[in-house]
Formats: sequence, structure tokens, C-alpha cells
Amino acid sequence: MLADGLFILFFALSVLGAVGLVLFRHPMNGAMSFVVTLISLAGLYALLSAKLIFALQLIVYAGAIMSLIVFIIMFLNIQPDDLPREETTLLYVLGGGILVVPIGLFLVKIVASLPEQAIAIMGNDFGGVKEVGLLLFRDWLIPFEIVSLLLLVSLVGAVILAGKRGVTK
Amino acid sequence: MSQLDILLIVLRVAFGAFVPLCFIAVLVWMERRGAAFFQDRSGPNRAGIFGFRAAGLVQNLADAVKLITKEDIIPDHVRHKFYFVLAPVIVFTIAVVSFAAVPFADALVINGTTYLMQAIPTDLGILWFLALAGFAVYGIILAGWSSHNKYGVLGGLRAAAQVISYEIPMGLAIISALVVYGTVNLTEIAQYQGQLLFGFIPMWGVVLQPLGAIIFIVAAFAEANRTPFDLAEGESELVAGFHVEYSSMKFGMFFMGEYVAMFTSSAIIVTLYFGGYQIPWFSTETLVNNARAVTVLLMLLMPAFAWVFALWMAKNNKSHYDRPNDPRVWEAKIYTKLLWVTVAALEIVLFVYLIAVSGGDADRILVALLQIITFLVKTTLMCFVYVWVRWTLPRFRYDQLQKLGWQTLLPLSLLNIFVTSAIVVALS
Repeated sequence: MLADGLFILFFALSVLGAVGLVLFRHPMNGAMSFVVTLISLAGLYALLSAKLIFALQLIVYAGAIMSLIVFIIMFLNIQPDDLPREETTLLYVLGGGILVVPIGLFLVKIVASLPEQAIAIMGNDFGGVKEVGLLLFRDWLIPFEIVSLLLLVSLVGAVILAGKRGVTK
Repeated sequence: MSQLDILLIVLRVAFGAFVPLCFIAVLVWMERRGAAFFQDRSGPNRAGIFGFRAAGLVQNLADAVKLITKEDIIPDHVRHKFYFVLAPVIVFTIAVVSFAAVPFADALVINGTTYLMQAIPTDLGILWFLALAGFAVYGIILAGWSSHNKYGVLGGLRAAAQVISYEIPMGLAIISALVVYGTVNLTEIAQYQGQLLFGFIPMWGVVLQPLGAIIFIVAAFAEANRTPFDLAEGESELVAGFHVEYSSMKFGMFFMGEYVAMFTSSAIIVTLYFGGYQIPWFSTETLVNNARAVTVLLMLLMPAFAWVFALWMAKNNKSHYDRPNDPRVWEAKIYTKLLWVTVAALEIVLFVYLIAVSGGDADRILVALLQIITFLVKTTLMCFVYVWVRWTLPRFRYDQLQKLGWQTLLPLSLLNIFVTSAIVVALS
């Protein structure tokens, strides 16, 4: 019962945070409301008994990436006046909404067609650190390594691109 | 849930919440008197209630009254008042909550049920600490940014850059420790450190991971924004950095948050590298099996310690010039009496335990209490190291700080991971 209430609360907060990110004019407000979204997503993961993903969501997204973004907002001291004026916002929102409607209807249809089943909490320490680790490094080792190579390539690329500008100056 | 379950939940949560808060007073006192000790002076020792000064602890009460009754100002130029108020709350709350996953005693078995002695009995362990450590940055960034003050913004920028860059060597040092322990669960990590290496050296993390321990401790100092890494405050160049615009209890929250963060990171250092709650050479099972012998030993040792302590008090707690009816001698006499009353009460409790309830679950509770005391003593010693370093080393320059983080600690911690993994693979 409590878990259901928390799930609904986190769901509402995550959607509201995302809406806030789009609607707030001041970059800091947008960033902070996105932090709310990330934290409530972590809460949803925890309620779905994905413990490791919960911790990683907090460490990587809410902790590291967002604090870097907030840091940059502060470092560049972006004020609302610095941003370009967006007079066609309403048009874009309406157009985007109309484009997204079919996908939303499709999703509703999928959810409606789900078989009715009693929901039970996954056993065997599902989603724990050890279980995910074993799955990742035993069954899915090669895809995992390929993804990490991809990340390494983009990391090196970013360093080279950032370094280049200094040389030409 | 039985009543025992509920009682233990309440006790554990209360421990996790109140012990860090009580340690604020102890740590502030230790910082002041420690600073005085390193600078060869007395430190604050005059504030007293009816002549009772408790070695300067009463000064904390005076400070608390001062901070609470000061005018609470939100400057007019602060445009984002919500963030301005939110920032100290974040810093303080995150510091308290990140202690929740630290085990303060070995898993307690009562009536066949195992209770993890953590405020939140999760097996996420060190991941919980890492997750929350990242959040403390928000408090500092928001405080510096919303203060709308050059010093505040500079302090916030410095603190954020420092915490973000030292999180990386810290995480890598933790990874090499996890390779050794084979788990992220802090209770299991502490249990692992109860073993003996070659039969006589306690298998503490600092023995198995000396380099990792040093890297982690340095990074933890930087994360807690303590000297030599307190450029965020830098009172000589930035006045007070990110909390320059704060007054009254809003400043008090930052102040308390700093000490709670110091306590929490000491607790994590102790758990990861100094055996946690483990009493060296005495594993939990040994203690439980020899509970009666341990009790007798305690009953003998307690008066001896009390006697030495009373002598030390009588020697030190007196005026340095002739005074008629020296009030300090009188004060020390009262403390000595209180001390002996406490010792007598404890002796009676232990005696009753010995003849009436020893054996079975009572032994386990006794051992858990002993381990809690061990854990708190170790943590206090680690906090003393923090104070020691603060009043011994000068502040780094900003470029030196970043150089240390990225060019020394990062490669060293990567090297440590390779060497550790190679050894672990070779030995298994």
C-alpha cells in the first residue's frame, strides 16, 4: 500500500520535473527540476527492486552529470536575458504534441493488452549488485566490452576535439 | 513484526540519527581544544555553568545560544530565495543521511533472527555513501550561486570543481578495496576485516590496501572540504566562500553539516580500512564464546582506567596561580565523584549480568555494545586525525590541488587497481 503510494508519487514527480525542465525560463530552475526527475526515477527503480540501478542512477546521473551541468550554468553565469527569445514556442509545442499523439495511443493500446496477472516481487535477490554483475560479466561480456570501447572512443575524441582549439589559437 | 523487531528498528534509526548529531558537539570541542593544543595554548575553557566547565564543552552551548538568537538575514539582493534557504538544508541532511549505511556493530542474532546493525539495513553499502556524497555538491553550488556575491560564487565554483575531481580517485580507491573484499556490503566488509593475516596481523584494509587507504583518506579530506583542501572557504582570499552571505542558524547548518560530514567520512574510512567495529584479534564469535571472561576483564579494567583518569584530572584541572579555595580543584573533585559513581553503576550492571543473564542472547548484546564502543573510539581517533591535519598543514594553492588530484592520485589509484587485481587473480 505504502509502496503503491510512493510509486504514484515518484511517477508524478518525475513527469512534473520533466515538464518543469521544458517550461522554466531560468536555466538553474530547469536544471533543478530535472534533478527532481532523476531522483524520482531512482525512486521508481528502487521500488521495482532494481537496487543497483537505483544506486547508479543516483551516483552517475543525479550526482555526477547533473552537478557538472549545474556547475557549467554557474560557471558561465547564464541569465534569462542571455537566452534567445522564443516566440514560436506555442507552435512547436502544439506541433510536437500532434506528432506524438499516435505514439501515445499506441503505448496505451500496448498497456491495455497486457495480460492480467498477480504481481509478485522478484525473488533470488533480483537486481542486486552481485546478480547484475554476474549477468553483465558472464552472459553479456562481449556487448558490454563493445559498449565500453565505444565510450572510450568518444572520450578520446572529446579530449582531442577540446585540445585542438587550444593549438590553433 | 514482533515488538523486538520494532524496538530494534527504533534503536538503530535513533543511533544513526543522534550519534552524528551528538558528535557535532564533541567534534567542535575537539577542533577548538585540538587547535589550542597544536598552537600551545589553552583554547576556550572559561564558559561555565555554576563553575562547571566540562573542559570547555560548555562553550558549545554558549555558541549554540549565540547562533540561534542571532538575526536571521536574507539579503535583499538574493533573487532565488528558495535555493538560498534550500542549500544549507541539503548540506546538513545529506551529511546525516549518508551515515545510515555504516554498520556500527556486527550483525546481531537474537532469537535466531539476524539484525544488520545499520540505520538502514541495506546491502548497498558503499554505493549508498557514494550516491549521497555526490549530492552534497548541490548544497555548496546552490549556496554560492544564490548568494549572488563574487566571493560566494568563487567559493562555490572552487568547492564544486574540487569535489567533482576528487570523487574520481575516491571511487577508484574504493574499487580496488572492493576487489579485495569481494562485496559492496559494509557489514560484510567489516566482517572480512575480522580475519587474521598470517595468523597474527589483523586483516584490516590498511594492511591489504595501504596505497588505496592513503588515496581514499586524501580524497575524503577533499570531499569534506577540510584543510588543506578548504579553498572553498579560504577566509584570507574569499572571506568565507560560499557561506559568506549566511547568518544565524542558516550558517549554523553549514557549520554543523561540516562536522557531521567529517564524522561520516571518518566512519566510512574506519569501516573500509581500519576494521570497522572489529576489536583487533577478537572476532565476534571469540568474544561471544568467552563473554564471561570478557566481562570479568572489563570489571577489572574499568576501575583502573577510572583511577588513572581521576589522577590526570586532579593534576591538570587546577589554577596556575594561588587562589583561595581553588574552584577548579573543587570542580575536579565533583567530576571524580561522578566518575566513580558511573563506574560503580556499570560494575553493578555487569555483575548482575554475570550472575543472572549471561549466556545466550545477552552475550551477543554485550558484544554488540562493546563493538559499538570500539567503532566510536576508532571514529573519534580518525576525527582527531582530521583536526590534527587541519592545524598542521597550510592550505594548498588551487592549481596544486587540481594537480594533486588529476596527476598524482588518479594515476596512482589506476595503478593500484591493476596491481590489486593481478594479486587477487594470482592468489585465487
